[in-house]
Amino acid sequence: MHGTSVAPRWTGNTVALVSLLLPTALGAQTAREILEEVDQLLRGESSQALVTMEIVTEHWSRELEMEVWSLGTEHSLVRVRSPAREAGTSTLKAGQEVWNYLPRVDRTIKVPPAMMMGSWMGSHFTNDDLVRESSIVDDYEFEIAFEGPRDGVDVWEFLLIPKPEAPVVWGKVEYEVRKADMMPTWVRYFDESGELMRTMTFSDYQTMGGRLVPARMDVVPSDKPRERTTLIYHELAFDVGLEESFFSLRNLRARS
Amino acid sequence: MASDGMWWRVAWRNLWRNSHRTWITASGLAFGYFSSVILVGLTDGMSAELVENGTRLMVGQVQVHASAYLPERNMHHTIGGYEGTDVDALLAQIEQHPDIEDAAPRLFGGGLLSSGEETQAALLLGVDPVRESRVSTLLTTLVSGALPTAGAFEVLVGSEMARQLGVEVGDELVIVAPAADGSMGNDLYTVAGTFRTGTPGIDANYAILPVDDLQYLMAMAPGRIHEIVTTVTRSRETPAIASALATTLGEGDVPLDVKPWTELRPELAEALALMDSMNFVIVIIIFAMAVFGVANTMLIGTFERRREFAVIRALGTTRRGVSRTVVYEGIILGGISLAIGALITWPVMVWWHNTPPDLTTWFEGFEWSGAQWRPILRVEYSADGPLFTALALLFTTIFAAVYPAWKATRVPPADALADR
Repeated sequence: MHGTSVAPRWTGNTVALVSLLLPTALGAQTAREILEEVDQLLRGESSQALVTMEIVTEHWSRELEMEVWSLGTEHSLVRVRSPAREAGTSTLKAGQEVWNYLPRVDRTIKVPPAMMMGSWMGSHFTNDDLVRESSIVDDYEFEIAFEGPRDGVDVWEFLLIPKPEAPVVWGKVEYEVRKADMMPTWVRYFDESGELMRTMTFSDYQTMGGRLVPARMDVVPSDKPRERTTLIYHELAFDVGLEESFFSLRNLRARS
Repeated sequence: MASDGMWWRVAWRNLWRNSHRTWITASGLAFGYFSSVILVGLTDGMSAELVENGTRLMVGQVQVHASAYLPERNMHHTIGGYEGTDVDALLAQIEQHPDIEDAAPRLFGGGLLSSGEETQAALLLGVDPVRESRVSTLLTTLVSGALPTAGAFEVLVGSEMARQLGVEVGDELVIVAPAADGSMGNDLYTVAGTFRTGTPGIDANYAILPVDDLQYLMAMAPGRIHEIVTTVTRSRETPAIASALATTLGEGDVPLDVKPWTELRPELAEALALMDSMNFVIVIIIFAMAVFGVANTMLIGTFERRREFAVIRALGTTRRGVSRTVVYEGIILGGISLAIGALITWPVMVWWHNTPPDLTTWFEGFEWSGAQWRPILRVEYSADGPLFTALALLFTTIFAAVYPAWKATRVPPADALADR
């Protein structure tokens, strides 16, 4: 798995699916059972990664190099290493809360509810993406929408419909997974009127930290097809022995 | 055929044969004129006040943006593009326009304000404090502290925002804002003051800082601004002034969009259009009443002169000559009424305009279409109010004279002379 919090909405799914490589009884299970079991398997697993985030927009583009620590789906810490102007800027996600540390003013700021839909670090991810990951199993109903060969590759396509009471911004989510190695290929996010809002594509599958993972992810917003945010994993390690206490406000400051 | 001048003379003499009646009719018309002009002036005063209050706080009367800026208000669409423009030169050019009083630059941003314990999303407004004070009343609404000094990392926050953040004048505040280069601009500021406009949306959401400081925070060049707000000399004529300004600015190389307040606050413009049409209806009613009064008087006048008309008809006067003298009577009556009307209206109007009765002690006024109205009954001067009413008055008297004139021509000489 590559359990980082950088793009948690799908990370949850990715993590879940990737770990299906583990010898679990898959055959007769429903999509939901698969994901629930995986969710159980993953709790408590930690990771550490070195990631480059490229953001391309109509008006500017830039590249951030970040270090990411995570524990299960509830905790993560991201620290910017470069560019120099922003080095040390950090984000802590603990449960449903997101905090930012700003080294320039040496302050820690909690992202207020009104800004949860705002962009995270100028990327095409929102702060909300960071916190929604943990509740994916609770928030959605799952079904297998398609199963079989597509473009010569045997795949599943899962359909995720949010439960009526779930605090989810999407109307539905679709994603495709390769059957052979359980690697995700893409995820599509739709709004409530069924319009495609953004697409995430996975590629560059590599073995990192002892597991096969997609080392590259591209997010493209549908209304601005020329914009994108790309995550590239350079280093990834699993089971690095992090405790919950690591993901504290004190550490958010100290680590930076 | 007798000359026209003679008929005028005849009409004039006829009017003064019964001077009491003429005076009373003229006074009635003069009073009609007076009430119409004052009424229109009062509603004009009310509209002017609504426009003033609806635009003065923030909107201004004409706004200038980069043509791509509205309606998305994308922060990258500054006037002159990424490079910005020579703001001072542009302001000078706009202020040169004869109908523009003042102009002020503005820069907008969005971000987070954090006092440490509390963090709120905020709209950031960058202003030039000196110029802003001339175009809007925003900076006069300070309830504590002072205006921020450029370069000193000082900020003004709305009173409700200050309460939610738990900050007072002198406290520190972190502002985080997405910058134009994609980075997260962040800096430490001191609260220089708080403001209370009375508009909850502004008091709870806005933070105001010098435009240079906001440019710095948002990693923007000093020439980059989103908006130029202006005030005009005659607010009711803003659309015309805006298009004239657009033509002037269109000659430059920076593509600009010039919008009058009527487009920025359409609901207010509609409310005023409604008031105008109500004015029109009231004037029509007043003069419809006058028509019957004048017609009645002149009809009596013509009936009194049945024998006289019969004699002049018998002497060979044409029907046209007879009707003409009656219509001329109406015109002269209208002229006299208008003169009296103007004589009593002008002094009252000047007095009323300068010392409007202030009813604020009795009631507080109300809000209409998002603009506050205070019960200060100022009469506004206008050219078309008195002019339109004067024309209406003349038409009224002529129109009212037509039926009596027609009646006069129908007098059969023989019957009238024989008293049949």
